[in-house]
Amino acid sequence: MGDTELELSPAQLEELQKSPSASSTSSTSSLSLPSSPSSGPRPLTSSSPSTSESLPTSSPPLDVISEGVGELSLVIDTEVAKKACQEVLQKVKFLKADGEVSSASSEPVLVNGTAHPESTDGGKPPKISQEEAELVKNVRRRQKNNSSKQSWLLRLFESKLFDISMAISYLYNSKEPGVQAYIGNRLFSFRNEDVDFYLPQLLNMYIHMDEDVGDAIKPYVVYRCRQSINFSLQCAWLLGAYSSDMHISTQRHSRGTKLRKLILSDELKPSSQRIRREVPQPPPSCPPPFHHGQGMSEHSLSPSKRTHQRSKSDATVSISLSSNLKRTASNPKVETSQDEDLSSSSDSLELEAGTPVRLTPQREFIKSLMGIGKRLATLPTKEQKTQRLISELSLLNHKLPARVWLPTAAFDHHVVRVPHTQAVVLNSKDKAPYLIYVEVLECENFETSSVPVRIPETRIRSTRSVENLPDCGITPDQRASSFSTVPNYDNDDEAWSVDDIGELQVELPEIHTNSYDNISQFSVDSITSQESKEPIFIAAGDIRRRLSEQLAHTPTTFRRDPEDPSAVALKEPWQEKVRRIREGSPYGHLPNWRLLSVIVKCGDDLRQELLAYQVLKQLQIIWEQERVPLWIKPYKILVISSDSGMIEPVVNAVSIHQVKKQSQLLLLDYFRQEHGNYNTEEFLTAQRNFVQSCAGYCLICYLLQVKDRHNGNILLDSEGHIIHIDFGFILSSSPRNLGFETSAFKLTSEFVDVMGGLDGDMFNYYKMLMLQGLIAARKHMEKVIQIVEIMQQGSQLPCFHGSSTIRNLKERFHMNLTEEQLQVLVEQMVDGSMRSITTKLYDGFQYLTNGIM
Amino acid sequence: MSQTEKRAGLLRRTSSSKKPLKEKVVLMYEDIFAEEPTKSNPRFWDELFLMKVNLEYLEGKLESLDGDEVLRVKDNINSLFQHCVQALAEEHQIKVVNALQTLCALFRGVHQKNRSATGFDIINMLMGFDKAELRMKELMESLDALLCGDGSQSLKSLCLKLLLCLVTVTDNISQNTILEYVMINSIFEAILQILSDVSSRAQHGYDAVVLLALLVNYRKYESVNPYIVKLSIVDDEPTLDGMGRVIHHALAEYNRQYKEKEEENQGGFFSTLTSMVGSMFIADADEKLSVQTNEAILLALYEAVHLNRNFITVLAQSHPEIDIATTPAVPVPASPLTPLGTTPPSLDMMNNPELPLDPNLQTSNLLITFLKYSSIVMQDTKDEHRLNSARLCLIILTCIAEDQYADAFLHDDNMNFRVNLHRMPMRHRKKAADKSNPSRPLVCAVLDLMVEFIVTHMMKEFPMDLYVRCVQIIHKLICYQKKCRVRMHYTWRELWSALINLLKFLLSNETILLSKHNIFQLALQVVNLFNMFITYGDTFLPTPSSYDELYYEIIRMHQVFDNLYCMVLRVSTNAGQWKEPASKVTHALVNVRAIINHFNPKIESYAAVNHISQLSEDQVLEVVRTNYDTLTLKLQDGLDQFERYSEQPREAGFFKELVRSISLNVRKNVSLSTMSQDVLLKEFSSIS
Repeated sequence: MGDTELELSPAQLEELQKSPSASSTSSTSSLSLPSSPSSGPRPLTSSSPSTSESLPTSSPPLDVISEGVGELSLVIDTEVAKKACQEVLQKVKFLKADGEVSSASSEPVLVNGTAHPESTDGGKPPKISQEEAELVKNVRRRQKNNSSKQSWLLRLFESKLFDISMAISYLYNSKEPGVQAYIGNRLFSFRNEDVDFYLPQLLNMYIHMDEDVGDAIKPYVVYRCRQSINFSLQCAWLLGAYSSDMHISTQRHSRGTKLRKLILSDELKPSSQRIRREVPQPPPSCPPPFHHGQGMSEHSLSPSKRTHQRSKSDATVSISLSSNLKRTASNPKVETSQDEDLSSSSDSLELEAGTPVRLTPQREFIKSLMGIGKRLATLPTKEQKTQRLISELSLLNHKLPARVWLPTAAFDHHVVRVPHTQAVVLNSKDKAPYLIYVEVLECENFETSSVPVRIPETRIRSTRSVENLPDCGITPDQRASSFSTVPNYDNDDEAWSVDDIGELQVELPEIHTNSYDNISQFSVDSITSQESKEPIFIAAGDIRRRLSEQLAHTPTTFRRDPEDPSAVALKEPWQEKVRRIREGSPYGHLPNWRLLSVIVKCGDDLRQELLAYQVLKQLQIIWEQERVPLWIKPYKILVISSDSGMIEPVVNAVSIHQVKKQSQLLLLDYFRQEHGNYNTEEFLTAQRNFVQSCAGYCLICYLLQVKDRHNGNILLDSEGHIIHIDFGFILSSSPRNLGFETSAFKLTSEFVDVMGGLDGDMFNYYKMLMLQGLIAARKHMEKVIQIVEIMQQGSQLPCFHGSSTIRNLKERFHMNLTEEQLQVLVEQMVDGSMRSITTKLYDGFQYLTNGIM
Repeated sequence: MSQTEKRAGLLRRTSSSKKPLKEKVVLMYEDIFAEEPTKSNPRFWDELFLMKVNLEYLEGKLESLDGDEVLRVKDNINSLFQHCVQALAEEHQIKVVNALQTLCALFRGVHQKNRSATGFDIINMLMGFDKAELRMKELMESLDALLCGDGSQSLKSLCLKLLLCLVTVTDNISQNTILEYVMINSIFEAILQILSDVSSRAQHGYDAVVLLALLVNYRKYESVNPYIVKLSIVDDEPTLDGMGRVIHHALAEYNRQYKEKEEENQGGFFSTLTSMVGSMFIADADEKLSVQTNEAILLALYEAVHLNRNFITVLAQSHPEIDIATTPAVPVPASPLTPLGTTPPSLDMMNNPELPLDPNLQTSNLLITFLKYSSIVMQDTKDEHRLNSARLCLIILTCIAEDQYADAFLHDDNMNFRVNLHRMPMRHRKKAADKSNPSRPLVCAVLDLMVEFIVTHMMKEFPMDLYVRCVQIIHKLICYQKKCRVRMHYTWRELWSALINLLKFLLSNETILLSKHNIFQLALQVVNLFNMFITYGDTFLPTPSSYDELYYEIIRMHQVFDNLYCMVLRVSTNAGQWKEPASKVTHALVNVRAIINHFNPKIESYAAVNHISQLSEDQVLEVVRTNYDTLTLKLQDGLDQFERYSEQPREAGFFKELVRSISLNVRKNVSLSTMSQDVLLKEFSSIS
């Protein structure tokens, strides 16, 4: 397959041609590549296999590379870059010449959709190979020759259209070490977030592909590991997970395992000098990795810290007055810990000092979460699981705050508290996935910002108790010299009680103060004005009415069901939950307080979920780019090992199963209950949301062949969107491998009813959206395929079972159909899905065997 | 208590075989009581502490001294005390052990001798008045060092025993003047350290907690007690949690023992017999079931809840019911106990105390265990001890019900527990099948307990003050629910009918009860609870129909309210001491009477119109529902106000007596000789 590497996807080519910079025939030296570090010759030559082999023990080659990036990103040396690229291309041609005879065989890729230069590729290479000898000298001349494929490639690499997706694609397809090395270096120029998206692909290539690819990738990975704990851990987890399919004996010595060990050994930490040098010149988009002294400033600004400190010192004063103490505060350990904390945070360069526990806290945090999941799985009932979960988490709480974070979050933070009573066990037969809410404090950088100070659960009390302590102004001398009873003051009780009443009223804002509620107002009035003896009369009917009205006005909540504890928790609107938890949290008053949630899965392989997430995300981007208003919600997946991980929960969404079970309504009636009657704006909005999400997920289900679509795996959110979850059966795998879910996707009559019936405008809109979505997806098929294809390398995942996974996937994009034909196809699929549930299974079978699409 | 009995308890082990043959140590003691001991032997003190202590002899000797002799040997005793204190700092552990035991004998002996003597005399006799402060400072510092050091666990145990011994030498702790020095030289931190460390907590936690509870009660009402101050501001969670676990363990152990006895008694033939013959034998069974209650631990719980607001969180700290003693006391790995998550959490994450994996273990927390304990204790309040225990339980519950944070977790919808309360076997009801008990928020268990108490204690020896507390607790909980609009799905009906039955009981026993108690206070509280439901029911009742049920229940039992009204009207029109309290009840009854007077005619006419003699519940509810609008109620003042709990002055007497009884009990049970010399020798022979 020597040709594949030079192939441009239709979309790429189209863009390349449209792009003004690319279509100008002037020489490429005029191209400005602002984001490109323009790899110099040195990185390229250093990419020979031998150099990076020595990486685990010493880091010189890395230094070279990382420093090179730093320098070059300031001065864009297009000449050097171009020259490097040419060298690469030259090598490519040598290779091509060698393999020409064998690899000139037919190319199966579908290129007949639109006409583009590649259709003539077959004839070019021989010509080039003849000119081969002159090539080096005639680079300039050849570059002007636009029809040359090499020139396309070079220009593509250097153009600003060359994005990470293409880079990954060429890295995967190219067999040429030079190209691979070039791309390995180009990785440094992409934004971190962009590369992070393809991290599973990069690492899977690193593990399962040949050495050259690995060598090209490694410097980048190592560089990023040095920069970020989070990246290090992500890499380590992914490396572990994707190595797990190898045979145990090869696995032990594989590159992936070695790199994982290196990362976990924590040798990849930034050394002090290098940080300093890199600080002024970070890649433009990534935040400066270290803020010197920032930890300090944040520390002193933290209000909690201040109050805490003050109360502490008050205590110290009052006690030390009352008696001679060796240790002043309530507990000696508290004091010392604070001192340590102060000293460590004032030394904001703690990382450079080489703290041995750079990765450990987070690893332990994850480990304890997984441990909980394992232990829960042994308990027989939901109720026991829930109780155990709560108690385990309350223990975990003792260890927080700490320098730990949730990797699924989009911002830097420290976890400060797990509101343990809010956690719920999710529905699962034999595993025990659970959902926890996590209170975090947002911070500038979780590696350098100081860890927040612990605030006791009963925050207000503790500060209050100290301030109100009776004045213990007796000197020890007095006490010792005279045993006379000291004049009595009223003991502790009065001291607290007064404030407590005030606190009672201040602390808890009246919930639901609605206009009907004047009773409490009355009672307050009557207390304050005792003089007015005029009795106040109220009607019993009013009380009764208020009661029923208030109950009716509360938003529809689900009943508590011990067998399904998560239903209630998930039904509660997210904002409401955040407000409620914030009120009850000792950290809630801090401005940077945030609430996150995460599902901890233990015993489940989330690699397929991650793959599905990537595909969904890619399609979402494509549809957005092509302005197709399809709505899907890819949720983040964190693979920790091949049998554990975390999932970012979809908020404000409950499963359709729960909806139906709790409400006992048809979906359409539930929509009306939640959003109002047919013609209200709310209902129409919800209906549109439903249609757009339904169309999106129908396409997803078709393209990815998502199976096991029962109502427990489809969520409905508060705006009317549906969200499919659980991608355990995709591509080549289906439950029990029986093809009973033969329809292209799940479309029940209830769904159609919500869309307004088969003849409604919305249903037509639904089909139209699907067609547009399919056309858009087809245009960018390569981007989708490559995500899946790379992950197939070395994988034993059931979704890759068989040999035709990728081919079948490609076929589902129907590159060969015209748009009219596609429209027919969509109609057929919708029809088929409708019929497969309305007709009997037998009919469905008939339908399939007769080969009618 | 007689001294002989006490000594017997103290010396059970050593006294068995000691016969005329005089030990060397006794000879040496005789030297002390005779002359200047070092005169004959300059190394006397060195040698003395190498000898095995003869507690019996030493204490006996001290007790038998008369006035003149005391004066004569005072210097020698002072010297002995001084050398004991010095010996505590010895490296030789045997000496430390012997010194600790000798000190204990000294404290006890001197106090036995001088029951009536003032504290000054005792101090003077032991240490010499001029040296006392210095000696005690040294002593406390040594003890603190021993308790906090890495030394032997047995030594720590002995130190705590010595301290317990010192704290309980007088019946009234506040008269124990030596404790003044313990106030100045605080060992509070040492106690906390014991409680915060897992292994030491398992071994010494009980003693430490009891010691702390007693120290807090030293001159509580007269002076500033630094232990009170310090206990009130402890905010280190592991320590508080440790304390909670010690208490939890003690209470759970009691519950377990009780349950075992109960099961024993119910086995086979006996149980069938009881159920057949009825309640005759149950009284007997109850006698057998009485397991010694543990007021000392309960007092500790009270002080923690009452004084320290952070402790409230510990109550809800759930953990599986584990037996602390059975968990292997693995010494915690070298890493010092991690101070509050500020150090790298890795260290403490790693030695995360893994909870045992037993699916049969119910998750529990201190509050649940306490509620179960209370339910057992409250079953039988006939004997004084148990009455006091029950009272203390209710006081603790009062403190809990007043606490905002505690209320929050009591009502937390996400924290559901099955709480199997013990119910007194009674003639007219079957023992509820415990298994059907659903998982509910904890407040339901508290309310259940209160209802249970109300229905089971309507007896001639009417525990009036317990009833008052009980109704107050309910009132406080409802006030919280009203304020925070918490709607509990609780079967309020049970509560209503229990309260109405209580009123009924008060009415029918009016004459007997009035001679001892102010029943109008209790009646007023009960009626006001109903007023809460009537006027504020919209804020906390779970469903509209529960409001209807409230009316149904009042109408159904209207006779009781009618009678109550007649009674209070009668009393309030007569001049007498009850005039005013009774008239308050008449005013409070206005809404209940309005309801009865409004609906009864409606129901009667409904029955007449429809020709039904006996209306069904649904029919009555129907009448109620349709006739709300014509009923006007009067809003009463201050229904949702309550007086907050305050220990002083009302409860001061109770606590004084309680502490006295605890002191006696602890003194009786502290036994220094439980640890036989052999064990100690074995332990220390390798060290020295």
